[in-house]
Amino acid sequence: MKVGLTTSVIMHAAALALGLFTLRAPSAFDVSDVEALPVDIVPVESMTQILEGDKKATMRETPAPTPTQRPDIVADAQKVGDNSVDTDKPPTPEAKPRPVEAADAPPPAPKPKEQPKSEDVPKPKEEPKPVPATEVAPKPQPRQEVKPEPAPEPAEQKTAQAEPQPEKPDPIAEAIAAEQPQESIRLPDSAPAPAARPKPQVAQAETAKAPERKESDKPAKQASSRPESSDKSLDDRIAALLNKEKASGGGAKRSSQQASLGGERNTGANKLSANEMDALRQALGRCWNIPAGVDDAETLKVSVRFRLDRSGELEGRPEVIKGGASSGPGRTAAESAVRAVQKCAPFNLPADKYETWAEVVVNFDPSDMF
Amino acid sequence: MENLALAEPTASLSIWALFMQAGWVVKLVMLGLLAASVWTWAIIIDKLIAYARMRVALDRFEQVFWSGQSLEELYRTLADRKTTGMGSIFVAAMREWKKSFEKGAKSPLGLQTRIDKAMDLALTREMERLEARLGFLATIGSAAPFIGLFGTVIGIMTSFQAIAASKNTNLSVVAPGIAEALLATAIGLLAAIPAVIAYNKLSSDASKLALRMEGFADEFSAILSRQIDEKVVTRAAA
Repeated sequence: MKVGLTTSVIMHAAALALGLFTLRAPSAFDVSDVEALPVDIVPVESMTQILEGDKKATMRETPAPTPTQRPDIVADAQKVGDNSVDTDKPPTPEAKPRPVEAADAPPPAPKPKEQPKSEDVPKPKEEPKPVPATEVAPKPQPRQEVKPEPAPEPAEQKTAQAEPQPEKPDPIAEAIAAEQPQESIRLPDSAPAPAARPKPQVAQAETAKAPERKESDKPAKQASSRPESSDKSLDDRIAALLNKEKASGGGAKRSSQQASLGGERNTGANKLSANEMDALRQALGRCWNIPAGVDDAETLKVSVRFRLDRSGELEGRPEVIKGGASSGPGRTAAESAVRAVQKCAPFNLPADKYETWAEVVVNFDPSDMF
Repeated sequence: MENLALAEPTASLSIWALFMQAGWVVKLVMLGLLAASVWTWAIIIDKLIAYARMRVALDRFEQVFWSGQSLEELYRTLADRKTTGMGSIFVAAMREWKKSFEKGAKSPLGLQTRIDKAMDLALTREMERLEARLGFLATIGSAAPFIGLFGTVIGIMTSFQAIAASKNTNLSVVAPGIAEALLATAIGLLAAIPAVIAYNKLSSDASKLALRMEGFADEFSAILSRQIDEKVVTRAAA
């Protein structure tokens, strides 16, 4: 026993000594310097559920696209913009008229010449100026449709002045109109209709508009100055024919609120609420005659897709996209589902969420109905 | 950017420091477990040596016994010596044989029974000696983890009380106490694991040795029985 005990004591002493000397306090954890990485957690809703707005605007409480300037309201317009027709073309930034001016500027000499001219012009200008004002008020109607027939009109000065006045001053047309009198001097036979239009009238018409549209003012000045500059090159004529219209895409829907951050159109957001969805489901459930007495319930599951117009009225025939069959109970089920939709037809749904219910897919499942 | 190294632990975490920081209960548990470990290893070493010796002794005795040497002679050489294992069984049987036979025992049946008894007794004594203290190993193997756990629980209780007192749950406040408490379990396991392993090994060794000695006892008993019968026949004939 002595041998064992002494060996054991010696072993333990050795082990303890080893432990004391080798298993010292562990060194503190050194955390190496790590550059902090900024991590943004982007909810997927910001991609999938975008409300209509302006891409560059800051976030505001109410979503709103870029405000429009035109006051007239176009019915049933979808896209926001300043146009009078609704188009999908996105609004492009306003083209700066400066380069055009610089291109046309090279002959600065005409300007002093123009000065006396414009001095002469104002005198007749004073007279017609009140005229357009009075004229515009009663007839804002004349638009592009009126334009096609300028030939008879130039005869009467008043209508000629009033014509460019209404909201669409077409610079091309103006430029052409400005050009034509000169050409008429050279080639009187080529354009018989505008031949009657006298030069100063054009100048009057253009300058009369000056306070309203600055863009259109410049071509007008050029046009009025041109007659004096005898060296009329081809470039000038081309420049005159170039589209100087302010590039304006976008639709015709009007917006008055301040622009807020958002996409070009509503995507996914603005969903039907559970209540509205439930109301739709209940309405359809009431209209649905469930085919009874069929044991194979699987064939009775039918998915129907239909389109609605803004008033909630059905557009076209509902289409069975899933389930049903060409004969037997499956067909009965499909037909009953289609009939249910047709029977319920004017659906009462919130108009402001039309995008979400323009096309509806409804699953008719008898097992859900009981 | 500032260095983010964790705060230096308030207390040293070396084993000695952990032991010194511990409360007296935990200290006592640790010391007890250390002593148990020492004793366990002492027993293990002792037993290993004893069993190895016993095995050698048995081998040598069997060699001598089956060498054709006269049993009387063998008895005479062994009788005044300290014997172990089979030797002591042999001596016990021969002593009984001599006592009864030389004094002229009448019944061979009684003699046989007495010799068997004597051999059984010797065998039991031998086994007792072989298996002594193995129970301690079993006890340590099963109890030491619990004792260590007790120390740990006490230590963690104390350290939680310290946390409650300091009103600070910083890891550097909590860690030393828990580490010190866990040291008790570590020591408990350190004592228990060798004890369990050694107990299993030593008890199986002991039973093997016992089997061997029982075999010898039976064999020797048979030999003696034959001898008795022969003696009785010759005596009857004489």
